[in-house]
Amino acid sequence: MSETVLSARGLRKSYPSGDALLEVLRGVDLDVAAGESISVRGVSGSGKSTLLNLLAGLDAPDSGTVAWEGSADTGARRRAAYLGMVFQSFYLVPELDAFANVLLARRILGGVDGAARARARELLKHVGLGERAHHLPSHLSGGERQRVALARALMNSPRLILADEPTGNLDEGTGNGVVDLLLGLCLSANAALVLVTHNAAHAAKTRRSLVLHAGRLEPPFTA
Amino acid sequence: MPWYLHLALRQLFPTGRRFPFFTLISTLGVALGVALLVIVMSVMGGFAHEIRHMIVDTEGEVQIVARGGIGDYPAVVRKVESVPGVAAATPYARDEVMIRFNDKPAYPLLRGLDLDSVERVTRLGRYVRAGSLDDLDDDSIILSGQLAASIGARVGDTVEVYSPLIISKLAADEVFLPRQVRVVGILEIGHQQLDSSTVYGTLRLAQDLYGLGSTVHGIDVRLNPGVNEDDAAARINAVLPEDIRALSWEDSFSDFLWVLNLERGMIFFLLLFIVIVAAFSVTSSLLISVVRKTREIGLLSALGARPIHVAACFCAQGLFIGVLGTAAGLVLGFTALAVRNDIVLWIMKVTQRQEVLRRFYQFSELPSHTSGATVGLIVVLTIAISTLAGLLPAWKAARLKPVEALRSE
Repeated sequence: MSETVLSARGLRKSYPSGDALLEVLRGVDLDVAAGESISVRGVSGSGKSTLLNLLAGLDAPDSGTVAWEGSADTGARRRAAYLGMVFQSFYLVPELDAFANVLLARRILGGVDGAARARARELLKHVGLGERAHHLPSHLSGGERQRVALARALMNSPRLILADEPTGNLDEGTGNGVVDLLLGLCLSANAALVLVTHNAAHAAKTRRSLVLHAGRLEPPFTA
Repeated sequence: MPWYLHLALRQLFPTGRRFPFFTLISTLGVALGVALLVIVMSVMGGFAHEIRHMIVDTEGEVQIVARGGIGDYPAVVRKVESVPGVAAATPYARDEVMIRFNDKPAYPLLRGLDLDSVERVTRLGRYVRAGSLDDLDDDSIILSGQLAASIGARVGDTVEVYSPLIISKLAADEVFLPRQVRVVGILEIGHQQLDSSTVYGTLRLAQDLYGLGSTVHGIDVRLNPGVNEDDAAARINAVLPEDIRALSWEDSFSDFLWVLNLERGMIFFLLLFIVIVAAFSVTSSLLISVVRKTREIGLLSALGARPIHVAACFCAQGLFIGVLGTAAGLVLGFTALAVRNDIVLWIMKVTQRQEVLRRFYQFSELPSHTSGATVGLIVVLTIAISTLAGLLPAWKAARLKPVEALRSE
């Protein structure tokens, strides 16, 4: 049986909405095995990003637990080594070129050396940006920026990648390319992937598809 | 290099842009404050340095005084000169007189000098602008420059000197005629107060005018080079009777030096506000930067950055601006000091006030003396203030919740 890299149990999260509390997550359970790819779909406002933030340890649930490889330690220090994140808006540091943005993940983890620099260059080559390593984000297209973000997410060889609508700001063709690249990279790095997406075609490319509905994760409805 | 220092440097100096506007303006503000502090403190230090030279050149490093005067002064001089570190000693008598020339009166201080020893202790000779110290005898005087100008006397003229004794003589119905003395020199020390109200004569002339007999008012002492004035004064006191005391020049002029130091302290404090205002501008710019980069701060948290390191990234920007601004300010300040006299000359030419400056300050050049301790204090305070300027933005950045930061528009 594959090792579980991510385990969530009974996750609940609510936000104040006027005088009432809006319960976004109502007891989410999820297990992700090493190297597995999972897609999470759902309508806007269903709590997909909230779930991803809880899984990443960026936010605390009202109740429930998140564990990475059985450990409840989801703090910043462990996150740097264990987790890679990809966002819809890329979030590249504008003052750093593509190479420095990729290397930033290792800088935060600590220990930038020749090998780290070589890996950053290799990753940029792998995402097709070897020639544009020293271009600033402002000089890259949306698709290229997202590919830099993918390389950054993989820089520290994480066990788990959480991608929050990574194709949301890209045209269809570019989006397809980015998802294929993301799946391929995760496969070759044996990293588990949780992909939050609106796109059914992208979701279909993952090994397991789930839908966030009424605050719970369910298998997709099939007619 | 830790990531937060690397990112702080990159945010100040982004790839492809040598000197962004924010960095330039912030650095310039700090640099101007530092440059002004260096220039003003150096010029004030220069004035203080000149005054120290003037005091030591005219009165030696140690002054010996006694209540009621020193009777057997040759014996005291011999004792003092036997003290280790003492190069020479010279007695003097000093009191106020009235002088008159062409019906113009003046009320200077007359200082009677022992011509045999005065040049071993003081360097008065180098300040004589007309005539010579060698021409001084018991029937002549040397006038300070502004005093001579105010009564219109020149070398070769004869002036009348009235002693304070005239009052007691008049009370006893005695006739006391003024002394007729020749002006044999004009002396300019470079200090407005001394140059406007001092007359130099021989010790015997002063003793006669004050009715001192063989008594003197004090003894000036010159020390060997490198000898500490306070230590020497203590050693001299050890061989003197208790009613005769030796004071270092700093103790003798302690009130004057206190006022001088107070002025320097106040000016330093006031000019430091330029650096503080510049630091507020750094704070304001960094706060804007925190707001502008909220999502990046969220990203850093997502990448595993700890809040303390996010804070350090912004605090370091204040530090770097402080270091850069201080370095630029020192270069600017010392460059301005190097060309200060040209600047002063130009201003004087433009304002046509050259004569006024000369009359009041007497310095042919604007003095400058930079103390290492003052520069050190400026550097440390400026860098500390600039770093503190980054604290508030750093605190704001560290308090951002990653999820809210990532969601911000």
